[in-house]
Formats: sequence, structure tokens, C-alpha cells
Amino acid sequence: KSSSSSSFSSFDFMSYIIRKAESVNKALDSAVPLREPLKIHEAMRYSLLAGGKRVRPVLCIAACELVGGEETQAMPAACAVEMIHTMSLIHDDLPCMDNDDLRRGKPTNHKVYGEDVAVLAGDALLSFAFEHLASATSSEVSPVRVVRAVGELAKAIGSEGLVAGQVVDISSEGLDLNDVGLEHLEYIHLHKTAALLEASAVLGGIVGGGSDDEIERLRKFARCIGLLFQVVDDILDVTKSSQELGKTAGKDLIADKLTYPKIMGLEKSREFAEKLNREAREQLLGFDSDKVAPLLALASYIANRQN
Amino acid sequence: ASLSASNFDLRTYWTTLIGEINQKLDEAIPVKYPAGIYEAMRYSVLAQGAKRASPVMCVAACELLGGDRLAAFPTACALEMVHGASLIHDDLPCMDDDPVRRGKPSNHTVYGADMAILAGDALFPLGFQHIVSHTPPHLVPPPTLLRVVAEIARTVGSTGMAAGQYVDLEGGPFPASFAQEKKFGAMGECSAVCGGLLGGATEDELEVLRRYGRAVGMLYQVVDDMRDDEEKTKKKKKNYAAFFGAERATEMAEELKEKAKKELHVFDKYGGDAVAPLYSFVDYAAHRHFLLNI
Repeated sequence: KSSSSSSFSSFDFMSYIIRKAESVNKALDSAVPLREPLKIHEAMRYSLLAGGKRVRPVLCIAACELVGGEETQAMPAACAVEMIHTMSLIHDDLPCMDNDDLRRGKPTNHKVYGEDVAVLAGDALLSFAFEHLASATSSEVSPVRVVRAVGELAKAIGSEGLVAGQVVDISSEGLDLNDVGLEHLEYIHLHKTAALLEASAVLGGIVGGGSDDEIERLRKFARCIGLLFQVVDDILDVTKSSQELGKTAGKDLIADKLTYPKIMGLEKSREFAEKLNREAREQLLGFDSDKVAPLLALASYIANRQN
Repeated sequence: ASLSASNFDLRTYWTTLIGEINQKLDEAIPVKYPAGIYEAMRYSVLAQGAKRASPVMCVAACELLGGDRLAAFPTACALEMVHGASLIHDDLPCMDDDPVRRGKPSNHTVYGADMAILAGDALFPLGFQHIVSHTPPHLVPPPTLLRVVAEIARTVGSTGMAAGQYVDLEGGPFPASFAQEKKFGAMGECSAVCGGLLGGATEDELEVLRRYGRAVGMLYQVVDDMRDDEEKTKKKKKNYAAFFGAERATEMAEELKEKAKKELHVFDKYGGDAVAPLYSFVDYAAHRHFLLNI
């Protein structure tokens, strides 16, 4: 085993992610203060500050620190990716989209504030993510790098990223398994899930002062763990009970959703998950073994989670 | 009309610019996989007969300060994209529930509410992406680009146009003009300020452009409201003419027109031809003295 995996064993990932999530929560709270019109800002804060594991902002900060940057340099970018993530959940839950009443055990945004405010709160979080990234990033980060970060974030969430994944997902409902293949499923996950994780890591690498090579390795790492997250999710859905998952098991089967086990079988899905985990780790070879610990631990956490 | 505008042919200036902007917007949103989303985005942004007031004002402000119009084009297109996104979402059944926009079925009427939400969600970032990837680096320094991005983001956000739309829908403890000011004044203000930033304006000049753009944006809307027929007026909850009465609306239009022109006096030193587009913009907003055949 390499030295990086031995440093992983001594690395306390849970306390790391909790500590980082706390600073992210603090930064988000002060980035979006309550002001007029109150109801829009209440709606923005309701979903933005609703908890969640803050995986994207923590990934952004860890990537920044990996290439030698400081947490403060990455914080506006970290907040921006979380604002975008929140915004996409608010719009996804709307009656004309997935029509969900509950999110993380709480009523969804439109249930509390109404559909009109939910649309506006989402739009406001989207634009504020860019305002915050462009104007709140520390002057230690060169403006050329911030401009590059703006471009990366925009590309990841628009019609070449997040939105493309949602569009293909929506248009796939009810399709025959024989009509769509693995490539189709991978397209959806690479855009719907992996694109924003990729942007989180890449933005961290950019504002942290990483070289082009380092940034590209972070990109590949994040794409792998993004896909890994989805494969593991699909496996858990068929192998675990509802009680173990804390949500309805077998939901994907009932909803007739495309999943990895359905297309390639359970055994092959497990092998694929292992391959992704291995590929993700390979991207991190050669980095400082202490600094790489949080990202390795994140990959293991995603690969080995039981719910 | 002011003296400086007398030699200036706004119609030629405007139609030439519209042609260029339409072409650049067409190139900026090619149809790729998945085609449905690009078609929905194009449907609203490339709608026939769009007057492109925001992009034209942005280019005109940039040129006034001696900037190259090539520096302003990507931002001019971005203004149209983010404005388009706002309008698509404003028309949704859960918002204004407007089945028609500019005489054509609105976006969700054609593509469904889900695609309309996503088309808007894609147009906002495309605007920012277009600015950072298409602005010639030798014409605009990176800190200026960041100011432009922040200016546009703030304008469409929770204290700008989204605030205007919210008050339009739900009311609240705000003056009657709040929604109009946020929805229409904000876009005019942003267009003029972004043009100024890209043309290298001083901070003082930016403040003048801010007040000028806001006044012209509101003037345009007040006049629109007065020209709207009774039927349409009833539908809109906040309409100057309906709310204040035709007489007061006419007075407001006159005040806004005077205010906008007064602001421009500081730019007279740049020469009549340089400032003429911005003066004639005010006259157009007030009188619509020519019809654009596009």
C-alpha cells in the first residue's frame, strides 16, 4: 500500500468534514443576509441553510488546499457551488418537474413559500452564486483565475452540464431498456451529478493556484467520484431495506428508472464501482500525502457508504 | 429633440447593430444534443422583432467612452440572454401565467413548463459564460470583466429584477413604482453601466450612466404602459397609466425624459456624434418616432 493510503487510515474524515461544513455554513449564513423583499430572502435561506452534508463546498476547499491554497481563497467559490446545488434542488422539486413535497424530511421550498417564490428564489440563488464568486473572492486570487472560475461554473450548470442531464433524464422516462444503453445512463449521471462535483473540485484548484495539470487531475478525480456516487446509490437501492437506507428501498425499480444494476447486473455494477474508485485515487498520486488525505477519504466515504 | 441628435440617424445605427447582435446571438446558441433545450432557448432569445434595446444601449455607452464595440458585443448578447431567461420564468403558469409574449405563444406554451424552467436556468449561466469566453482579452482587463459579471448578476437577482417580479406578484410594503423600477429601470441601468465599464468609464461617469440608464428604462415602460390598450392594462397589476392615471403618467414620462437628457450633459465634451446615440435613445423611448422594420 502507498504512503497516501496509510495516512488515510490515521485521518479522521468525519471530524474534517464536520469542521469544514461548519465554516461553510457560517459563510453561507453571512453571504445571504435577510433583507427586502424579506420573503424571497427567507426562501433562499430556508433551502440554503437546511443542512446537508456540504460535500461540494468541502470538495472545493479540499481541492484548493491540495494545490497549496488557503480555505479563505476557496470560500466564495465553495459557497457558490452550494448555492447552485440548492437552486437546482428547489427547481427540481417543483410540481412541473419532479413534484416533491419533502426534501431532507422538511417541506420543499414551494410547499412553504409557493411556486412563484420558489422559482424566483432559485433564480436569485443562481445569479447570486456568480455575483458572490466574482466580487467576494479574495484579492490574493488573481482576477484572471476568478474569470476562469466563472467560466467553469457557468459551463458546468448550463445546457452543457447540469441542465443537459436533467433534460435527458426527463425525456428518458418510460423508455425501454433495450432502446437506451449504458452510454445514455452515463450521460445523465455525468451531467446531472458529476458536472457540479467536477466544477467544485476544478474551482478549488483554480482559485488555489493549481497548475493546469493539477486542475485536470482534480477534474478527472471529481468525475470519477461523481459517477461512483451514482453507481453506489443504485446498488444500495436494490440491496438494502428501506429501514437501512432511511428512504424507500427499491424505489428505482418501482419508478422504472434506469439504474446500473438493471443495465449491467449487480456483480458488474460492483466491479464498475471499484474501477471508478481506483481511477479516482490514481489521479491523486504524486500529491503531498498529508494534503491528499481528505480527498482520498472522500472517495472511500462515497464508495463504502451503507445508506 | 436635442441639437446633437439632429445629424444622427438612430434608425440606421440601431438596425445595423440589431443585425450584428442577432447574428452573434444565433451563433452563441447552436443546436446540439439534447436539441430540445437549445430549441427552447433559441425560441425566446431569437424571437423575431426583438428590439434589442439593452444590447444597443450597452454598445452605445461603450462607444461613447471611446471603447471598441467588439469589447461590448459579448456582454450585449449576455444581457439579452439573462433578460430572456427572466421573461421565460415570468410568463410561467405559477407566475404571471401569460400564454403569449410579443404576439407569439410563450415558451412554456410551446415547450412545457418543465422545459421553460430549464431553458431559463440554462440561459442565465450561458450569459456569464459568453462574457468570459468571448470578450477579447486585449480589449478588456479581467477585473473589469468581473465587475460586469457581478453587475449583471446583481441586476437579475433578489434585490433587482427578481425583487420586482416578487412585488408585482405578491405586493408588500413597497411604493407603487417599486416593481416597475426594479423590473425595467434595473435592466436599463445595467445595460448602460456595463457598456460604461467595458468602455473604461471613470467611477463618476458610471454613476451618471447608472442614473441615465434607469431613467430611460423606466421611461420606456411608462410610455409602453400608456400605449397599451385597455384590455392589456387590466391584466397587468402594476401599470403606470392604470395606477396613476393617464395625466400623471404623461407627466412622469416628461420628467424621466428631462432627467435622462440632463444626465447626459456631462458627456457633451466627447462631441455631438459620440453622445448622439444616447440622446436619441431617450427620444425614441419617449416618442417611438420611427418604426423599426426588422
